[in-house]
Amino acid sequence: MKASCRDLEKALAGGDPSLTAAFEIHAASCAPCGRELEEWRQISEAAPALRRAWDSPELLPRIRQAAAEESQRAHADESAPERGPSGWRWVPAASIAALFVIATAGLWVFRNSGGRDPLASQWRTTKDPLLTERAIDDVETAEKAYLASIEKLSLLAEPKLAGAKTPILVNYREKLEVLDSAIAELKASIDQNRWNTHLRRELLAVYQEKQRTLQSLMKEVKS
Amino acid sequence: MDLYETHGGRMKSIAMNLLGSRADAEDAVQEAFLKVHRGAAQFRGGASLSTWAYRILVNTCYDMMRRGRRRPENPMPAEELLPRGGERDHPLRLSLERALVRLDPRERAAFLLCEVEGFTHREAGEILAVNENTSRTLLFRARRRLQQELRAGGAFLPAEAS
Repeated sequence: MKASCRDLEKALAGGDPSLTAAFEIHAASCAPCGRELEEWRQISEAAPALRRAWDSPELLPRIRQAAAEESQRAHADESAPERGPSGWRWVPAASIAALFVIATAGLWVFRNSGGRDPLASQWRTTKDPLLTERAIDDVETAEKAYLASIEKLSLLAEPKLAGAKTPILVNYREKLEVLDSAIAELKASIDQNRWNTHLRRELLAVYQEKQRTLQSLMKEVKS
Repeated sequence: MDLYETHGGRMKSIAMNLLGSRADAEDAVQEAFLKVHRGAAQFRGGASLSTWAYRILVNTCYDMMRRGRRRPENPMPAEELLPRGGERDHPLRLSLERALVRLDPRERAAFLLCEVEGFTHREAGEILAVNENTSRTLLFRARRRLQQELRAGGAFLPAEAS
């Protein structure tokens, strides 16, 4: 195989060892390609020097202690009087019903908003880039209704996640934890500045992600 | 905590390079291990447990970065820049360290996993939740940007000196 200057990108990408080898031969007699190759070599050689190592004798005991505390809490929760299984029989049916109601309501709102983002349209009504007090109230009212539907779904998913037994459910739980923490952070930021449209858009995006995650979780549980 | 004995050091190194401080790195590792602990009893698949733990760690770091524990723009204190004991330092290390800060988090993570910590593209892909080819692309972009930064800063050594 013979390589030329045109093979530079492919050779640097490294997906084809025979091309890389042929390109090295070419680069030996081509100054610009030789320079490129040399710079990449220097980066690769320097990279391992970025490894960090330091002693942290307190870290493992800290992790063990935190893990033990969590286990104790979990054990205490298990020892608490259990809810009768019959009390939860309604959950799968209610989940499906909630999903149906949310989907229908979402479709209705979406259609009536002419295909635009229903919440986004609320804050687009102002010409001023800063939201007016009235626009804020409108946004927050719409937001509350939307969030209430997600929270209902969230409550239905909670028992499934609490008893998560498979890696996939554990992953769902972690993802939802991350989303909840992002929601809390954004809400705190919005409390500081209610007129920040960017933060509100970001919050909406996180809520939408949470809704999608909960819906796929419920599907997973059902299957 | 065999996982900690085997992978704790490497996890601290990755978190340190993503977050920029020892304290944040240790917090991230602790958080990751707690998440692993919560799900470990139910985890099935033995060999990939470590990959799963690294994945949790990287996501925890992203989360911390997003929550505002941003990597400092200024170089880290000298005592935090020391490479692993016994290894020869490299004249490009400091420039590389500074250039790394400017990378997109996913590209930075791909570079750290593959080039710094020696994971294969397959492993890095599993950790970053992307396929092998995407890992390769992320690394390519990371190297390209690093090359541009280092070149702009005149950091590369003459070929005969390197």
